This record gives sequence, structure tokens and C-alpha cells, in this order.
Amino acid sequence: MRRALANAVAPAAAILVLLVAWELGVRYGFLKPYQFPPVSRIARGFVELSTIGFPTGVSIWSHTLITVARVLQGYVAALALAIPLGLVIGAVPVLDKLTAPLVVFCRSVATLSLLPLVIVWFGAGELTKVFLIGYGCFWVMLSNVIAGVRYVDPMLLRAASTFSVKGLELFTRVILPAALPRIFAGARMALGVGFMVIVGAEMIGTIEGLGALIMEARTFYRSEITIIGMLIIGLIGFAITSGLGLLERYLLPWAANLDQVRR
Amino acid sequence: MPDKSNVAQLRPRAVEAVVGGSSASRFIDIAGVEKSFAQRGGGAVSVLTNIDLTIAENEFVSLVGRSGCGKTTLLNIIAGLENATQGAVSIAGRPVTGPGQGQGVVFQQHALFPWLTARDNVAFGFRKAGLTKAQRREQAMDLLKLVGLEHAAARYPREMSGGMQQRVSIARALALDPQILLMDEPFGALDELTRIELQQELLRIWEARRKTVVFVTHSISEALTLSDRIVLLAPNPGRIKQVYEVDIPRPRTRTHPRFNALYEEIWSDLSS
Repeated sequence: MRRALANAVAPAAAILVLLVAWELGVRYGFLKPYQFPPVSRIARGFVELSTIGFPTGVSIWSHTLITVARVLQGYVAALALAIPLGLVIGAVPVLDKLTAPLVVFCRSVATLSLLPLVIVWFGAGELTKVFLIGYGCFWVMLSNVIAGVRYVDPMLLRAASTFSVKGLELFTRVILPAALPRIFAGARMALGVGFMVIVGAEMIGTIEGLGALIMEARTFYRSEITIIGMLIIGLIGFAITSGLGLLERYLLPWAANLDQVRR
Repeated sequence: MPDKSNVAQLRPRAVEAVVGGSSASRFIDIAGVEKSFAQRGGGAVSVLTNIDLTIAENEFVSLVGRSGCGKTTLLNIIAGLENATQGAVSIAGRPVTGPGQGQGVVFQQHALFPWLTARDNVAFGFRKAGLTKAQRREQAMDLLKLVGLEHAAARYPREMSGGMQQRVSIARALALDPQILLMDEPFGALDELTRIELQQELLRIWEARRKTVVFVTHSISEALTLSDRIVLLAPNPGRIKQVYEVDIPRPRTRTHPRFNALYEEIWSDLSS
């Protein structure tokens, strides 16, 4: 008990010492405040963001809401396309052979490198941002769905065949449930990609959203606001990933190694 | 525990199997079975050669032998999961062309569907029988009772020990109401105590349900405890080296003099 308490207190104390040292370092001129904004400054920045907003009129809440909405639009669209397509490609080995190089290639292209091209296609508006997120999520999701369907434990297929289960019944009763943990893992990874892409996608053509907030802050040397943007993106990612983990535990209570898969 | 009267009834059938003749004694007929695999870089590896074996109805036959002697391959051919390169297997006079001809299979491990509970894994076996879901579940519960697992009906495979999983596997195979139970080292991954327990369970089920069993094992004493006959396979290429009659009344104990004599005999044939 005492040990557990010490284990919790010690790291907290270490962080506190670091933050105080940081604060004092800035106050006594060893660190430049715009390079290493101290806690007090970050706190003041947060108050400013949640009251008058930055840029003026856009509060931290609307930045957050806009970013989450963009990510979810791209993410949901990507999943809605990738899941059925992946199931079909995975179920038909010839299709998998044909599409594998394309999937690997498209998945490997850094999504943000498409930004200039996508602006040419869709302009610098909402569609461009949602498209980029969707693109990043789609390929990650697609390759995981395909892999989930293709690499079902042969032991289970063999067991099913002893019951003369084949064709569509084999797919729905065995292959699909066996692929679900991998499909869930893909959904988690894709969401991570979505949040990675959004910051870059929001750096152009908008003043709203956490990516725009970070970029705008840079222009005005408001490093503490950049840090707040970072922290909030981290928190949202953490919350949504935990939520998906809980959902998976609820929907797939049978899945083993849940903690190994979750990241 | 099997009682003596049951044992006495079972013995003559097995003897008849060796003498041969009637159709019951040629229930499973393996004639001239060969199996070879194409090898990388040309040529073929012969896994099984010249397998001739008949197994009587309700007989319990074990296949023993070193790794690589083809005993699992032979079992898979009987199960219809693999094809013989040459020769044929028939069950009750019908040539085996695939699974689902009365063969129930129990694998070594990890063959339960992880997303189904014990009860639903067993109910999976009833799928073809045209029953309602409720009927399937009810019958699945009966089979779980038979293997002593009605209390674990709602558990997923990952929540069960290896021994419990194998009991469910046996119940699932029985759901097909198969004439033949094909078992591929079903207790090989279990600890000694669980293994002995399950051997006794299996004998009880075998006697209650009157199945023909083909049982692959590495363990000579397991084969001696269970079987009417033991078929020793030798590797390179896999072939039948020797067949032994296990003329020891059940329940068998390791201290029985015949048990030890046969053990010694099989062991020396295995290692020679």
C-alpha cells in the first residue's frame, strides 16, 4: 500500500520539480519564454483561448470541435468504403493478388505529400481536408481488413470443414468473426493516422481547427498556444483510442491478447 | 469408469476385426493408400506408402510412431481433409471423398472457435441438422453434460483450461453424431493428470455412444490404456510396421503384466 502510494507520488513529484525548475529558469532568464513557455504562461494562454479565443473570436472549444468533426467525417467515410471492399478483396484471392501492389503503394505514400495535388482538385476548402484524412485512414483500414480475412488460422478452417461448412456460410460463420480483431486493430490504427494527417491538412486555407491554431500561433510567436494545441490533440487521440478499446472489449469479449493488440 | 460387463461385450468385436470377413469388421477400409508431396526443386517426398488397414465398427484403434511417420496424414485422409495420392479409403462401403461422411474430428488444440462459447461451439456441429437455434443449444447442453462441462457452457475458449477445451472439442465432434471419431493427439498438449482423466472420460463416452475411434498419439502407454489395437507406423516413407492386439481387460492399469510386456514389445519395435 505504502509502496503503491510512493510509486504514484514519486513520478508526480519529479514532474512537479521539472515544471518548477522550468518556470524559474524562464523567470531568471536562462530560458527564452517564446522557446520554452513556462506553465504559468501556458495557463494564461489557455484562459485566453477559452474566453476571447485565438485568433480573436475562435475559442479553443470550436477549434477542437471543428477538428474532431473533420477527422470523423474522413474516418467514417474511409471505414464505410474500406470495410466492404476489404472483405471482398480478402475473400477472393485473385483480387488480393491483383490489388496488393497498389494497396502497399498507396499506403506508403505520405498522405500530406498529396496536399498540393488535392488542392488543385478540390481547392483549399473543407473537402480537401476531409479527403486527406479519408485517404490516410482508407489504406490503413483496407490493408488490415484484407489481412484479417486472408490470414484466418488454418486450424479453424480445417475444423469448419469437418462440419462441411463452406462457401458463404464459411465466410459469415468463420472467416468474418475470425477477422474481427484485426479489423478492430485496423480501425484503431486508422484513427491514429487521421489525427496525424489533420494537423497538416489544417495548416492551409483555414483559421479554424487545432492544426490552424498551431500554425497561427507560430506566426505570432505564441509558443504556449502551440503547446496547448498539441496537448489537446494528444488528449483527444487518447480519449478516442480508449473509447474504441472499451467498445472492442464490449463487442468482442472473446478476443484474447486484447492488450497486446491495443496501442 | 467402465464397468466389467461393458468391457466383456466389447472384446469379441475387436477380435473379430482381426480375423476379418464380415462387413462390420471392414467398417473403415484403407486399401493401398499412398501419399506423396511434390518437393521444392522437383521430385516428390513419399509420406505414406502401402497402407492397408481395416478397422471394425466400434473398434478403438491407435496409430503410434515417431514424428514424421505420417500418422496425422493418414488420419486426415480418413477424415477426408486430405486426398490420397494412390489407393482409397471407404467407410461402410462408401468411398471417402471429403469430410462430412460420418467422420467427427478432434484436433490437438486451438481448434475451437474463439468467438463462440463452449455451448455455441458445440451447437456449431448441429448446424446442418436443420434444428432451430433453441434446439441446437439444448442438444449442445446435453453433450456438454456428457463431457462434464455444463457449468462452463457460457465460457469462451480463452477462459477455459486446455483440458476443458479438449472436452468441448470432443463434444463438438460428437454433435455431428459421427460414426467415427478421429482424434489427432487430442491430449498431447495436456498435463499428465488431466490427460489420464480425459482418457477415462473418452473410454466412457466411447462405450456409451458406440463409436469407432481412430486415435493418433505419441504415447505408447496412452495407446495401451485406450485401444483394442495399436498400429505402429515407421517413417521414411510412412508405412505400417506392426499391428498389436491389446488383450488386456478394461479398466487397464499400468501394473498389469501384459501392459508391461506389450509396452516393451512396442518400444523395442519403435526404436529398432
